[in-house]
Parts: sequence; C-alpha cells; structure tokens
Amino acid sequence: MQEPAQIVVDHISHLYRPPRGREVLALDAVSLEVRQSEFIALLGPSGCGKSTLLYLIGGFLPVEKGEIRVDGKAVAGPGPDRGIVFQHFALFPWKTVRGNVLYGLERQGMPKPEREKRAMDFIELVGLHGFEDSYPSQLSGGMKQRAAIARTLAFDPKILLMDEPFGALDAQTRGLMQMELLRIWQSRPKTVIFVTHDVQEAVYLADRVAVMSARPGRIKTIVDTKFDKNDPDIFKNKFFVEKVDEIWNLVKDEAIKAQGTRSA
Amino acid sequence: MTKDAQETQETRETIHGVPEMLGRLAWRLIWGFARIFSIVALLAAWEILARSHTFTPFQLPALSAVLERIWSDAESGDLAINTALTLYRALAGFLISAVGGIAIGMAMSRNAAANWFFDPIVSVGFPMPKIAFLPVVILWLGVYDTAKVTIIVVDAIFPVIAATVIAIQGVERELIWSARNMGASNRQLLHQVILPAALPQIMTGLQVAMPLSLIVAVVAEMLMGGYGLGGAMMTASRFANSTSVFAGIVEIAVIGYVLIKAMTVIRRRLLIWHPEANAPATA
Repeated sequence: MQEPAQIVVDHISHLYRPPRGREVLALDAVSLEVRQSEFIALLGPSGCGKSTLLYLIGGFLPVEKGEIRVDGKAVAGPGPDRGIVFQHFALFPWKTVRGNVLYGLERQGMPKPEREKRAMDFIELVGLHGFEDSYPSQLSGGMKQRAAIARTLAFDPKILLMDEPFGALDAQTRGLMQMELLRIWQSRPKTVIFVTHDVQEAVYLADRVAVMSARPGRIKTIVDTKFDKNDPDIFKNKFFVEKVDEIWNLVKDEAIKAQGTRSA
Repeated sequence: MTKDAQETQETRETIHGVPEMLGRLAWRLIWGFARIFSIVALLAAWEILARSHTFTPFQLPALSAVLERIWSDAESGDLAINTALTLYRALAGFLISAVGGIAIGMAMSRNAAANWFFDPIVSVGFPMPKIAFLPVVILWLGVYDTAKVTIIVVDAIFPVIAATVIAIQGVERELIWSARNMGASNRQLLHQVILPAALPQIMTGLQVAMPLSLIVAVVAEMLMGGYGLGGAMMTASRFANSTSVFAGIVEIAVIGYVLIKAMTVIRRRLLIWHPEANAPATA
C-alpha cells in the first residue's frame, strides 16, 4: 500500500430519491482506495448501491456528502479519464459499430485518418472485425458488449468503470467475455472498478473484491484475490475455490437481508 | 467464399432463375391483389349498386362516371390546380408544424420556463377541436392561404409537440451518460444524441400530423371557399353536381394514401438503423 491511491472514495453517503415514495439511504459513509492499474470488484446483493457508487466515481451523479478524488482532484462531473461500460451497452443505435467507436475520438478532436485507424484497431482487439458496419440492432448481446468495450477503450481512459457488464449475457458468452476482458486488461493494464453480483466472476477477474452490505450500502470487507489468473484449471484451483467460498459466505447473509428488506 | 465458388453459384442462379422468378412474381401479384381485395370489392359494389338503379345518378353516380369526370378535369387542368393548391396548403402547414412542434417540444424538455409556459397550453389545446378557431382565423387573417395554413398549423402542431416531449423524456439515461463520458458538450448532446435517440417517436408524431394537415386543409377549403379540392367539392355540391363531389372524394382518398405511404418510406429511410426497418411493411 506504499504507492498513493489513484482513486480515493472518502466517506461517501448518498440518498436515493425515487420519483414517488420515501427517500432511501443508498450509501452510508463508504470509503475505498484503489491503486493504479488495480482491478477491483464491487460485489454485493442487488440494491446495495454498488452501481450508485460507480456512477458517483464516474461523475454522473452529484456527490452530496463526502468526497471522491481521482489523481488528487475532486470529481465534479463525467470525464474521458474515467470510461464507463454499462450492463445494457448504451451503444448509439443509429450509429454503426465503427460510428460508435469513432464518437469518443471525434469528441477529442483526433484527426480523421488517425481516429479511423484507432477505431479499427480496437474493433479488432475485441474481435468484431467484419462487423464494423453493422448496427447494434443487428448484433448479439455479447457482440454489443464487445462494441461498447471497444468504444470505451478507444478513447483511452485511465480508469475503466464497468457496471455489471456481463450481467445481461448468457452463461457461455459471459465466460468467454470474462476471459477476453482479462486478456485485454493484461495486455493494456488500466485501473478497473467492476461492479458485479457474481462471486466467481469477481474472484476470477479482480485483484481485490470489496464486499458490500445490503442497504444502506457499506463496504463490509475487502478480500485479496490476487493470484495467477492464467491457470487453465483455475476453477479447480484450491485458492480460487477457497476464495469463492469465503466471499460467498460473506455475501450470503447480505443477500438474505436484501431479500428481507425487499419483501418488507 | 472464393471467386470460383461465387461464380458457380451465380451460374446456378441464372439457370434456375427464370422459372423461379416467374413463380415469385406470380405470388407477389396474388398477394398484392389479396391485400387490396377489400378495396376492389368496395369499388365493384359501388359500380354495381349505381348501375342497378337502386339510387338515382344524382344520389350515387357510378364509379365509371366519376373516373371519367376525374379524367376530364385532368385534361382541362382543373385537377392539377386544385390538387396543387390543396397539397401546397397541407404540406406548408405540415412543415411549419413539424419544425415548430419539434422546436417547442425540445424547448419544453430542456428549459423549465418554456415547459412552464407551454405545458398548460398543450394540455388544454391537444384534446380540444381546434377547428373551432376557424371563425377567429377568418376574422383575423381572412380566407386566403395565410388563414388556411394557419388553421392547419394550429391543428397539426400539437401531436408533434407531444411526441417530441415524450420522446425526449424517454431517451435512456445511459445514452446521455455515455455521450457525456466521451466529452460531448450540451449542444452536441442535443444534436448528436438526444435528437437521433428521440427520432423514432418524433416520426410517429409527424405521421399523425401529416393526415391531420390534409384533413384540415380540405375542411378549411370547404368552409372558406376558393380553389382547392375542398372548395371545388363545395362548389360542385352547390350546383348539385354530384359526380364532381364524388370525384373529389376519390381524389382526396388517393392523395391521403400517397402522403401516408411517403411518410412510411421516409421513416424507413431515416430509421434504417432501427430494428423495425427489417420488419415487413403493411400495405
């Protein structure tokens, strides 16, 4: 922990105000530090505020109480230093894959030949070569998410915020996409904050797993899950199995609690 | 596919192509006829009923007589003048409604003051029969084109405003966040993200405004007089010229159909990216 943290979440509390009904405390004095090039997973039952925390770091929601600093500067809004990938892709449906990937590069004022080349490079990186002129409506869920990842990686954010990116995909596609993401991350290390409710996914991908409690969201524990992820038999690996078991036990109580508060 | 394989396939297609193409053509004709069967049946019933002497030609002129009248009007040039005038008024009213309605809808979505001002007007104005303003429009603007186009706009602008407001409200938060994330400014966000994302629903509003514009154009012409299909029908009616009245009905039906088809074509062109673009069309 000697290197200074790149992202500092400092006692963040957040009230969720639904259009109707009472306001809910979504996050309660959450603190978290993430180092550069670290892959951290935010794990918790649905409704624990893990996505809210991600949106706050992204600058999409206003910080009301506490402070979030990225590279020492307080977050005041969205910026291309923090790229986001959403569960439901959020691709521009009226643009082709290429058009989507180009959009961020155009906004940054990159000259045309350079951005065309860069867009194609990233389309290739995520394995969408040959689909650059397809519209999102013509792609499968996994391909849409590949396109969304290419779009975000292309404008080269220092930090990658991923909001249950594989949550809408079928099990096989999800497994493949996890391997792909790990491959991409290992070839171009970035700081990643990865929101998920899938324990195996979190242990497989992340260096550390922050387990969150049911509403109001707090960080319950942070579990170190750094080990060799390239082991072909990783899912039978003793360390992997133990970590999954340990974290599952931590999450289980919270998941039951979350169910309880929901039905109440 | 290699070049050779491609060529072989092409040859095969030309060999088997001719009878297959004829078969497909025959099917398309049969289907095309089946789809318009009800219209053809209605027209045939009209002709038979008119010839059966159940009604006098004054009450119900035969379709053949009506078509002859349309033909002679076309030859004399009356049809072209009346159609052009009605179309000009309807389209001018439609275009002003489209541009104005989208602008007002956008302003209402983006600006609290604009919303505060326009929202009650839209709430009261949308469901009300705006044709009630016609006497006022006549008092203020007379009975010529300005008045006619104005009453069309008063009617057709409401569905465009309502569709635009609802469309912009419905734009996914994630799309806006993605654009912001990539560095879009407020202006860019509006033009490059919110408008295209809202376009399918705005188009639906425009598809409602188009027939409305034609309806009000014809009604205004009927009530205000002068040239135009509506005016010509009223004149014919005053002279007890029932063949010309029915000719007007047929002409308006054809124009309405063509305008709506044109809107559907424009929609498909503009929304080529939308899943619906791959869906089969209706007649």
